[in-house]
Order: sequence, then C-alpha cells, then structure tokens
Amino acid sequence: MLIDKIKQALAPLNLEVADGDYAKTGCHLAVAAPPDQIQGVAQAMLDEGCFLESLTAVDLRESFDLVYHFANFSELCRTVVHVPLGKKKGMPSLSAIYPGADWYEREVFDLFGIHFFGHPNLKRLLLPEDADFHPLLKDFGASESND
Amino acid sequence: MELLAQFLGIEGARMIVGLIAVIALVSVNALFLIWMERKVAAHMQLRPGPMEVGPHGAIQTVADALKLMGKELITPDEVDKPIFWLAPIVVFLPVLLSFLVVPFSQTWIIRDMNVGIVLILAFSTLPVLAILMAGWASNNKYAVFGAIRSVAQNIAYEIPLLITVMSIILMVGSFKLSDIVAAQSQYWYVLLQPLAFIIYITCGTAETNRAPFDLPEAESELVAGFHTEYSGMRFALFFLAEYTNMFIVSAIATVLFLGGWHGPFLPGVIWFLLKVYALIFLMMWFRWTFPRVRFDQLITFAWKILIPLAFANLLITALVLKLR
Amino acid sequence: MIEYSLEEKTYTLNLGPQHPSTHGVLRVLLEMEGEFITKAEPVIGYGHRGHEHMAENRNYLQFLPNMARVDYLHALAFNQGYCMAVEKLMGLAVPERGEFIRVITAELNRISSHLVWLGAYLLDLGAFTPILYCFDDRENLLDLLDRITGSRLTYCFFRPGGVPQDLDDEFITGTRAFIKRLRTRFKDYDNLVTKNVIFINRTKDVGVITKDQCVKYGLTGPMVRGSGIAYDIRKSEPYSAYPQFDFVIPIGDKGDILDRYVVRVREMEQSLRIIEQALDKLPNGPIMAEKVPKRLKPAAGEVYQAVETARGEFGCYIVSQGDIKPYRIKLRVPSFGNLSILPELAVDTLVADLVAILGSIDVVVPEIDR
Repeated sequence: MLIDKIKQALAPLNLEVADGDYAKTGCHLAVAAPPDQIQGVAQAMLDEGCFLESLTAVDLRESFDLVYHFANFSELCRTVVHVPLGKKKGMPSLSAIYPGADWYEREVFDLFGIHFFGHPNLKRLLLPEDADFHPLLKDFGASESND
Repeated sequence: MELLAQFLGIEGARMIVGLIAVIALVSVNALFLIWMERKVAAHMQLRPGPMEVGPHGAIQTVADALKLMGKELITPDEVDKPIFWLAPIVVFLPVLLSFLVVPFSQTWIIRDMNVGIVLILAFSTLPVLAILMAGWASNNKYAVFGAIRSVAQNIAYEIPLLITVMSIILMVGSFKLSDIVAAQSQYWYVLLQPLAFIIYITCGTAETNRAPFDLPEAESELVAGFHTEYSGMRFALFFLAEYTNMFIVSAIATVLFLGGWHGPFLPGVIWFLLKVYALIFLMMWFRWTFPRVRFDQLITFAWKILIPLAFANLLITALVLKLR
Repeated sequence: MIEYSLEEKTYTLNLGPQHPSTHGVLRVLLEMEGEFITKAEPVIGYGHRGHEHMAENRNYLQFLPNMARVDYLHALAFNQGYCMAVEKLMGLAVPERGEFIRVITAELNRISSHLVWLGAYLLDLGAFTPILYCFDDRENLLDLLDRITGSRLTYCFFRPGGVPQDLDDEFITGTRAFIKRLRTRFKDYDNLVTKNVIFINRTKDVGVITKDQCVKYGLTGPMVRGSGIAYDIRKSEPYSAYPQFDFVIPIGDKGDILDRYVVRVREMEQSLRIIEQALDKLPNGPIMAEKVPKRLKPAAGEVYQAVETARGEFGCYIVSQGDIKPYRIKLRVPSFGNLSILPELAVDTLVADLVAILGSIDVVVPEIDR
C-alpha cells in the first residue's frame, strides 16, 4: 500500500506522521515538518512517484503555516505536509526537486512575502513587478466587509 | 473610337480602351470576389454571411470600400517612408499589366504577344519584391517575419510552377496564349496532363499566399504578417492585388489546362469567365477547409516533392512527344 | 524599443498580451534565433483579481459565484469542487438525485469547454471553419443549460447541500436529442480534422511530454493522459455519483499534441456516455440536503477537495476557523501547473509549434491569474 511505503520513506526523517481522516479532510496522511526538513520530505515523495499537487501558505497572524499537498497518479494517497514558519523567516526551495514548485513558490512569495532560498528566479508572479505589498497577509488593509 | 484611332493608330487605341476595360474589370472583379469569398466562407461555416446591405449583401463590398477610402492613412513613425508608400503600388501594378495578354475570347485580347506566357510569369514574380518592401519598411518584427516567409515561399513555389508550364509549352510549341488555347480545340489539356494541373493549382495557391499557404499573413501567429502596419486605402490595395492575382492565376490555369474560351453554345468570354471563377471557387474552398501548414513543412513540400514531380512530368511529356 | 548589437545572435519577440492565439491575457517572452525559439517565458498576472483575498471577506455562500469567474469554461466543475469542500467541512450529504443532476450538468459543461478548445485550437492552426461548427453545437448545449441553471456561461448552479433547481422533462428530451446530434457531428470532426494530413503533420511528435515530466511538474488532466498515465480523478478518487457510471479513460501513448487532441475528443464521447447513463438511471427524490443552515458555519478544520475539470485537477483547499467567513481558501487550478512546463517544451521549436503547443495545453488564463 502506498501509504505504508510513504510512511516507511519518511521514517528516517523523524517527523510527526499521522493518518488523516479522508472523509473529513480529504487527506490520507498528515505530516508536520520543520522548514529545514522539507527538502528531505519532497525527495522522499518524489522517490515514491508522488507529484506536488499544491503549495500554499496560510497567515496565522503570529506565524505562517506552509501547506504542501502531494498525490500520486497510480494509487490514491494524498499527503499533506504542514510546515510552521516564523514571520520574517525563509524556506528552502523545492524547485530543484520538483520544477513545478517554481511557480507555486513565486506565488507564495508574491502574496505573502515569504522568501525561498535556492529559488532560481524568485520574482513576483501575479502582481506587477513594482508592487511593494503582499496582499494575502492578514494585516494588509482589510476593510469592513458585508455580512 | 475613330478619333482615337486617328491619333494613336489602331494598336494605340486598342491599348487605351483595353486599359480602361482592365481597370474596370479589376475593380468589379475585386468587388465581386470579396463578396463571393464572404458568402462561400459563410455557407461553409453554416451561417448566411452578409445579408444586410443590398440583396444578400451584394453591395457590402462597396460599403466596405467606401469605409476604407475614408480612413486615415496612418504612417507609423519609424518606417522607411519612400519604400513604405511604394510597396502597395508595386504589388498592384505588375498584376494589372498581366492582363495585357490574357485571351478572354478569340478576339478579346489586348495584345497577343508571342511571348505571352513568359510575360505573365515574369510579372507574377514582382509582387514578391513588393511584399519584401512592405515588410522591411514597416519597422515591425512581425512584418519582417511575414515578408521573409513570403519571399522563401514564393521562390520555392515558383519553380514547380514554371516547370509545369513548360510541359504545356512543349506540347503546344509556342508561347503565344492564343496558340495554347487554339491547340485545345480537341481535348482540354487537363485530360492529357492531370498531374501538371494539380501541381499548377497547388503552386498557384501558394503564389497568391492563400490558405493553406497563407503563412505570410498568418493571423494567429503573426498578427497580420507583412501588412500589419498598413491601414486604410493602402491595405485595400494589398487586398485588391491579392484578388486580382487570384484571377490571373486562375485565368492562366484556364488557358493552359481548361481550354480557354472553348465551349458550346455560349460566347467564348462567358465560358472563360465561368472557368476562371470555378477555379477561384476551388481556391476559396481550400482556404476554409484546411489548416495551415508549418513553414518548414511548406518549404520541404515544395523542394522535395513538387519539384521532382514537376520534373518527372516534364520528362514524361518530352518522351511521349518524341516517341509520337 | 529593441537594441541591436552586432554580437548578439538572438532577439526578443513578444507574443501577447494581446494576441489572437494566447487564449486570454497571456504574454510569452520569446528569445529567438531566426525562426527558432531559444527561450520562452510566460508572463502572467494581467488578470489577477484577488479571488483568494475575496474569499476571506465573504461568507461561504457569497463566495460561490466567484468560482465561475475563475474558470468560466468549466464553471460547474469549480462549483462542484467548492461545494463538496464546504459539504465535507459541514458534514452535509447530498441526496442522490442532487448528485445525478450535478453529474449531468457538469459533464455537459465539460463537453462545452472541450468544444471551445477544439474550435479555438484549430483556429490557431489556421483552419477557420471548425470553430463555427463547434460553436453551433455549443449553442444547443448552452440553451439546455440555460433552462435550468439560468446562465449560459458563468454558472452558479450548485449549492452546498445539493442543487436549487430540478430538471424538467424538456431538459431531458432536449439532452437526449443533443447527444444524438453530437454523435453524428463527431464523425464529421473525425473526417475533416483528425484524419487531415496537414493537421497530423503539425501535431505528430510535437510537444512531447514524458511521464517523468508529468510527475515533476505536477501536470494533471489530458496532459498526463496523453502521455499514457491513466489518471482521472473521476476514477482514481471517485466523488459524487461517478462510481455508478461505466466509462473509460482515454489515454495516448507518446505524449505529443496529437495524443492530447485525441484524448480530449474521446473524452467528449465518454461524457456523452455518462450523461446517457445518468439520464437513464435518474432517481426520484429531493435535490437538496435537509437542514442546510442559512448561515454556513463549518467547524474549525481544513479540507482539500479535488475534482476533474476539463483541464485537469481543480483542488479547493479551505481552512476554516469556525467563522461564517473562510479563513483561507486556496484554489489549486490545473492551468497553473500545466502552463509551467511551457518553457521546457518550447526550446528549439518554431513559433508555429509554440502556438500549437500552447493550444494543446488548453490554458484558461483567468484561472491562472485568479
């Protein structure tokens, strides 16, 4: 079973790995990893033939939570990796392992301001190049909304 | 008429009258062809086409021409002005002059030169120069691209065209267009030289930059190719030249392969026009059916397939004539 | 302004943002050597409207119409992904008839999206007529969907818990007639396009994507199916009523443009099969779950819901903190990953090939920009 192979592959990294509640969260495996381990996790997932489904960040006001989703073409097993990141800190880039992560990391940089070390081309992706703000941060000019 | 004949001599009068007739023909032809193209395209695309202006949109082209004439002639800043302005004229004049030798019927021919076919082939090469002028002078990368493609395409497809025409000339023994038509009183040459006909139609379509060989104007790749920077009346001249060129190419095909003005009951000129417009319809049919070939495939097709085929056809023709 | 230098062998050409072939506001910066491309860099963001930010300032039901504006061509699949994500968070179960209606309308929408792709792609290749035939077929389809959803393009038809409007008999007979008509039309498309020598020469062995590239770039949809990977979320991670229907996943073998083209055309045929079976087996019953609260207030948690759209996998990732407004919504759109492989595919090709490859990726730029 793929989920066991992934657990085995991740075992040497000594991370918190738990079974996910698929019916509620859509993920089979939930992993929590520190920033310096993310490249190891990604390499392990690539070796198991998984692809990077999604890469995003959540602004938790006091810190960030980077969320990586991995899935597999041949067997259904979605793994979500949560990486807590302090404000003003950077993350290692996955673009050497997964070239597809290139644009996702640029988008996260664009919208949140998180820096990715080792990224070949960390420019803004969606906003104009000369923009000087990061719109998805929680303290970015949120106006009163309608109910 | 007699007054003119007194001053200029019969030949001179004939040329003047012919010139006026040709200009009239070219304008009416373009008007008609543009309307025909739009209707043919429309019906092939399951829609009616222009219907508003005049019965079944018959006056639509007149309305469009008036609109084009009223447009501002925009000259972009950095263009090479003399060449930019000359290009539409150079693209149009040679095609106009080709009408000198086209035999519309037994007597309706302005000047029956004994190098008729050579004259037309020579003149049909000149518009390429004009396209290069237009593309280069526009100071626009897309335009230069279109012009370069056009030159390569025209050179490549000129050669099989000439060779197939040679096959016909071999059979007739004369360059005079009226002789070629007269030689087909028994059988039309399309029956004796079907391969040459197919090659000629293919090359003719390529010479006039029509789809599927319309890379110089490839809208979806190069915006508008070599005439990107042209607007208004200048653009109209390019258009006019394209349709007139189609007419000339079809007219030559009719003379060489379809027996010119030969045909029962109806006067020769009617048969001639019917055959020409049938071939033009064929060219339009191609445009709305096929996708576009890629440029390197286009050139490969000409050099590696059409030229050997045309040569083979010429050799076989020569052999058969020798053995007869 | 271009700067020339005698030493430079390459020059820069800009494809877009206004260009007949870039399917939206996409700019591709090309570095070219003659007619060959040495480097291609897509520049996106011209249509960034801030949908994910909007999500944080609206409640769950107010955000639903945004989904249709993200991918306007297959809006119902995006509707479905979002609604299913919210349903998972709230623990709502959609009744069977509601699921069937969702499947029927989403599959009809898939066909209409593929018809647009087909027409526009052939227009890029220079064939002017097929687009009008495709749009003619599509008119029929849009009228059908208009009857029950109320819109022709940007549908906002599903709700968390089911669908708000039921099908009527006219819709069912109209759909059956449409299925019959489209099947005869497919024969025309096959004869005029798929077997056309010029078309095959332009698409065979061009833009080949290997299986390795599929994994590394996170491609989904017809891009991977053309390369031989049988990955379709409707079969691999079944949702809604799809397990009840019998359909195959068309796959190619080489991963060139022709394979992707054939995969999409066959997918349309499979969608027709699904719709037929759904209409035959349509159960009676309610179309909306009972007790759906007026103010959706899911419990705190996160959810990732994947659905198969015409372009690939749409993933809706919602983080809720127990409020009536979502805390964060991430829309994982298929064209985003699919387009990121363009720089690698474009090296050493002609501009004509680039246009063909770009068309075969089937991008909808608004969903990339969000």
